[in-house]
Amino acid sequence: MSTTSPVRPAPPIEVQLLEAPFQPLERLAAWQRSLAAEGPDATGSAAESHFIGRVRPTTATGEPLEALELEHYPGMTESQLRALAEACAALHGVGAVLVAHRVGRVRPGEAIVLVAVQADRRGPALRCVQELLEDLKHHAPFWKREWSGGRGTWVAGNTPL
Amino acid sequence: MTHPSVPPVRVRLFAGLRERAGWGERLIHLDARPGAQRTTAADLWGQLALDGAPGEENAELPATVRVAINQAFAAPDSPLAPGDEVAFLPPITGG
Repeated sequence: MSTTSPVRPAPPIEVQLLEAPFQPLERLAAWQRSLAAEGPDATGSAAESHFIGRVRPTTATGEPLEALELEHYPGMTESQLRALAEACAALHGVGAVLVAHRVGRVRPGEAIVLVAVQADRRGPALRCVQELLEDLKHHAPFWKREWSGGRGTWVAGNTPL
Repeated sequence: MTHPSVPPVRVRLFAGLRERAGWGERLIHLDARPGAQRTTAADLWGQLALDGAPGEENAELPATVRVAINQAFAAPDSPLAPGDEVAFLPPITGG
């Protein structure tokens, strides 16, 4: 006796590290177009969830922020983001994942991270976005340095959820 | 005694750890003599006095510092092989 389960193709995972300011809605539109071009059966796209994170205008101690500097580990950061996204996509059975993350100097108000997930239902789409965001904040090698008054201070930890 | 035929280990530091040490990348030759005990990432942390202050040689690796070997997270007591890239990562603050 044997049981067979339908083999689902691995969902498309897109990871982007961006050195210049980006427009999250334009990135989203391009991602949606690229998925749509793969055909209606390529993803279960009845539900889609997004998160856009922007740099706040103050430091952790409340001083005016000039810029946030994002250091990363070239190679490992990309592979780790992809591994986290693949694991989250498999766990929730979602159809497609996009992660875009800034590196370098990011100014207040600019987008720093974009996470988007397409799925067949709202639950997996919403849960995968939230979990992937938390995962990347703690397990993808990025380090923030706040610049204020001409001085840079490495950030010691993540802000509360 | 160095062994020119044995590739060194590449040690990498990031963010605050890099600035405290004053360097971001260094090549280290492991003790490759037959019978020598394999050096671990935690051993290197102590040998390179990466805790900062002089006299802190052989200090233990802090629990807040994570280790990556060949760009994948690894246990601090993982033995290193010639040619490995080992990185010490301060607390991650992405997203």
